[in-house]
Amino acid sequence: MSTHLKTALGYIRRAPFQAMAAIFVLTLTFFVTTLVAILTYSSSKLISYFETRPQVIAFLKDSVKEDEVATLQHKLEADVRVKEVKYVSKEEALSIYKKATSDNPLLGELVSPSIFPASLEFSVKDLTFAQEIIDEVKGEGIVDSVGFTAALGGESSLRDVVGRLKTITTYVKVGGGVFVGILALTSFTVLLVIISMRMTTRREEIEILNLIGATRGFIRSPIVLEALIYAVTGAVVGWITAFITVLYLAPSAVVYFGEIPVLPKDTLSLLGLFGIILAGELLFGLILGTGGSLLAVSRVRRAR
Amino acid sequence: MVKFKDVTKRFGSVMALDKVSFEVKKSEFVFITGPSGAGKTTILKLILGEYFPDTGQVEVDGTDVRVIKDEDLPHFRQKIGVVFQDFKVLPERTVSENVEVALAVIGLSESEWHERIMHVLKLVGLSKQADLFPSQLSGGELQRVSLARALVVNPNILLADEPTGNLDWETSEAIMELFEKINKEGKTVIMATHNLEILKKYKKRVIHLVSGKIINK
Repeated sequence: MSTHLKTALGYIRRAPFQAMAAIFVLTLTFFVTTLVAILTYSSSKLISYFETRPQVIAFLKDSVKEDEVATLQHKLEADVRVKEVKYVSKEEALSIYKKATSDNPLLGELVSPSIFPASLEFSVKDLTFAQEIIDEVKGEGIVDSVGFTAALGGESSLRDVVGRLKTITTYVKVGGGVFVGILALTSFTVLLVIISMRMTTRREEIEILNLIGATRGFIRSPIVLEALIYAVTGAVVGWITAFITVLYLAPSAVVYFGEIPVLPKDTLSLLGLFGIILAGELLFGLILGTGGSLLAVSRVRRAR
Repeated sequence: MVKFKDVTKRFGSVMALDKVSFEVKKSEFVFITGPSGAGKTTILKLILGEYFPDTGQVEVDGTDVRVIKDEDLPHFRQKIGVVFQDFKVLPERTVSENVEVALAVIGLSESEWHERIMHVLKLVGLSKQADLFPSQLSGGELQRVSLARALVVNPNILLADEPTGNLDWETSEAIMELFEKINKEGKTVIMATHNLEILKKYKKRVIHLVSGKIINK
């Protein structure tokens, strides 16, 4: 073990309560940071899910020919504002209807495919394009009428849902960011105070080291290492706690959100997501630890 | 080895050293004596580069201390061993760890530590106390730790600031015997002391200071 690491561990061992205070605050910071990151991920997935659902349905005239449908489909597919264009035949429309009314089979038996028009369903990349695309598609000769899926269940409800989700996501991002920022600042201050106290209690030792020819790096290294140990321990413990919390809550969330992928479906992707968060937090921890300790060291040096 | 030429050092209105000039040759043993506040410690601190002279020149091993850059000061100090009246040992480290820290400071490979530490502890008579903490040692033993730490880096010059100031006569004599032994091995020793018994017993060159001025060399 290097001399500096041994010295840093010695400092921690001799003042366990200071160490615990620092690690506790940092753990809390990284726990909240991990949860905010997961919430941001889930809410963006939620928005993405709703945004990518078929939103516009162009009902085709009964007299329409296959090549005319294909031409319009290709035209829509080439449009940069449009995505996921899908042709739904009369039979498929009936099947969707029957599925939707499966709790009342009589409703399905009373209809035949002929009453359902074939349609082209597609999504828009951004809901702000919806109105102009609907107007354009309405002008196509083979199109009988155009429905906005939201309109099928109630006026503009999808837009409302997405709008609401976007607001919630903004709150999560901004509110979470501010909260994480406050916690990070608290952690930084706690680190600063603890390292400053360490420098004050080690003043004689620092003086001796100075006199026997220790370089600034030699004197600072154990102190910076100590701060890094706090930061890395806080990041890892906070992350593990958040990971366990998410694993505990995941089954309920999956049941509640159903097919909406608020969390990665497979274990590898979930671990990948948490791995990225851990890497980011470790980096943040290293910056926090190094910055805090160097600032404390420089301030104490100035005070002397 | 050490040259002071018209060195003046002032702390506010207090004149600590007033145009002090002297020279200490290689392998010489010199006492700096005088009453409290005469400027003995200031001379040692000037040699160590802890203070810079206001005027005049302090030269150590051919280097003018005023031209040493801040980043070079540690390397300069690594060539000088220092022993203090209040020992200045690290209380939370064992005897061998106290000595070890000096080797870590000079960046010596860890594989060489054990042999050098054992050699120097044997020299100062602390082989059996290697794993004890300072709180378990007597004053004389603490001074030996301080001496061992100063010697382990094989310095060119050994500075001692009242090394027997906190010790009884018997222990002081033992410590002085060690300094003499070290000096005989070729190290330059500059010792500040106001202990007249020591000055009488060890016939060395004496630089006598009064109110920052040398009254004899």
